[in-house]
Amino acid sequence: MIKKILKACCVVAISLLLVGCSGEQQEGAAADGLIGQLIVTGSSTIAPLAGEIAKRFEQEHPGTRIDVQSGGSSRGIADVRRGTADIGMVSRQLNPDEIDLVAYPIARDGVAVILHRDNPLQALSEDQIVAIYTGSVTRWSEIGGADAPITVVNKAEGRSTLELFLSHFKLRNEDIRPSVIIGDNQQGIRTVAADPNAIGYVSIGTAAFEVTRGTPIKALPMDAVEATLESVRNGSFPLSRPLHLVTLPEAGAGAGAARAESAALIQAFIEYAASSQVDDLTEAQYFVPLAH
Amino acid sequence: MAEKTTRVVSGGFLPPARRGTDWPDRIATVLMWAVALLITAVFVWIVGDLVLQGLPHLSWEYLSAGPEDAGRGGGIAPILVSTLLILAVCMAVSIPLGLGTAVLLSEFGRRNQFFGRLVRYSLDVLAGVPSIVFGLFGNAFFSITLGMGFSILSGGLTLSCMVLPLLIRSTESALRAVPDDYRRAAAALGLPVFTALWRILLPAATPGLIAGLVLGIGRALAETAALLFTSGYVDRMPGSLLDSGRALSIHIYDLAMNVPGGESNAYASAVVLIGLLLVINALTFRAADRWLHQGITPV
Repeated sequence: MIKKILKACCVVAISLLLVGCSGEQQEGAAADGLIGQLIVTGSSTIAPLAGEIAKRFEQEHPGTRIDVQSGGSSRGIADVRRGTADIGMVSRQLNPDEIDLVAYPIARDGVAVILHRDNPLQALSEDQIVAIYTGSVTRWSEIGGADAPITVVNKAEGRSTLELFLSHFKLRNEDIRPSVIIGDNQQGIRTVAADPNAIGYVSIGTAAFEVTRGTPIKALPMDAVEATLESVRNGSFPLSRPLHLVTLPEAGAGAGAARAESAALIQAFIEYAASSQVDDLTEAQYFVPLAH
Repeated sequence: MAEKTTRVVSGGFLPPARRGTDWPDRIATVLMWAVALLITAVFVWIVGDLVLQGLPHLSWEYLSAGPEDAGRGGGIAPILVSTLLILAVCMAVSIPLGLGTAVLLSEFGRRNQFFGRLVRYSLDVLAGVPSIVFGLFGNAFFSITLGMGFSILSGGLTLSCMVLPLLIRSTESALRAVPDDYRRAAAALGLPVFTALWRILLPAATPGLIAGLVLGIGRALAETAALLFTSGYVDRMPGSLLDSGRALSIHIYDLAMNVPGGESNAYASAVVLIGLLLVINALTFRAADRWLHQGITPV
């Protein structure tokens, strides 16, 4: 019996090794000369979209392989700088200390402030939102709403929605007095939908989708601009952000044919991701395609 | 009634006002039942909720097709394969290492030897380290320093770092619980150390070994944070152990948290994950059971 088990283990181990080796061989050259592998890391907001774009790109260019990883915008930037990734995904404007990288917009995303559908308030001024989030207003009755405490839903550190929200309202995270801290858009929507006294902020694409699905939330207009996909696309919505792919400016500048090959692949993938060929994918992920 | 009175009188310390009432006992009984029911209810609720919401989306196609539309459509075949490969790498590394270390700690070395205490102390610290720390370590060491990149191999190795403390500690305490008479008897029969270990001590310690193994497998299958930065996010069918592959737990996390409209498939994947866990646990018990019975120890 032991021998049998041992034998089985050996067989498994050897077959795993063989599988490991066979993966090294590259199959089929491409007709358009594009070949090789790219690693894309960064924003978890962009990752599902980039994954879909990568699948379509691979289909159109056999011989290429685009591996999309997740982990956050800052990680995308760090990985590109360190060379562990070819392309980073960054769901915000580049900071001044990040201009060593080149950013290519591929779509836009808006952040909407959301309330429960039953909340009688139809709009909040920027000052009111700041007052609520800094804790100087703690009851809805103070700004003309129901006599109930406000549940302030904030995002966890490191989320680019949080960064966009903070930079727009010129807040620092330590100024915010949150009742609930959440990680992602879905969690934010669930929290606000479950609490008539909650206020939160999420991606407009996500909010619009949830509203059409009947989730009891509403997205507030900002500076009298409605929180719609259209106002995000034309850039008039104040709380919106570009979704970027970033690379090193000298990507592939080093000597050698392999580097030049990968530079061509990087360029081709970025151009493809920003083209109208992937608009349907962008919309399917509830983002707003660029005007082409 | 008479019986209770007698008891109180014979106890002799209860004030007369409380005679005839044993309400502290009753409250305790009710509390025990309530706690037990509560815990069972939570378990039933979780599993029931998962099965109710996930089962309608489960089908053979779901298990055999690749994901589409960021996981909202299609199935989970590549993800299932990646998960099993990651688990296989993890177990292939941690079972021999874990058994070896446990045997070293319990059989070769005095109990209070400095080295043994140091190893035990580090293992206990490691067992309590949050998984994201293992993830960052795995990313820095396996993926970058050793150049494995985002791959099933680096994911499995990272997981084995997490699982090893559990496995070693439970195996070690199981080995220690084996009566010394067994060792003396083996020595008296002139059995080689390895035979004594393989035929007598380890089979006798099987229950503890299984407990560690089952805990370890559970921890490995449920892991999300440590895998995000090591085995990665790619949902393609893995061609080799050096390919990046998305684990089921990461798929569930991504669908529930990052993909609008992904909840129903997240539930379906969660049902698959729980099913997988149950099947693997059952197989582990079976395999260990056989090993136990082929030994020469009395059961």
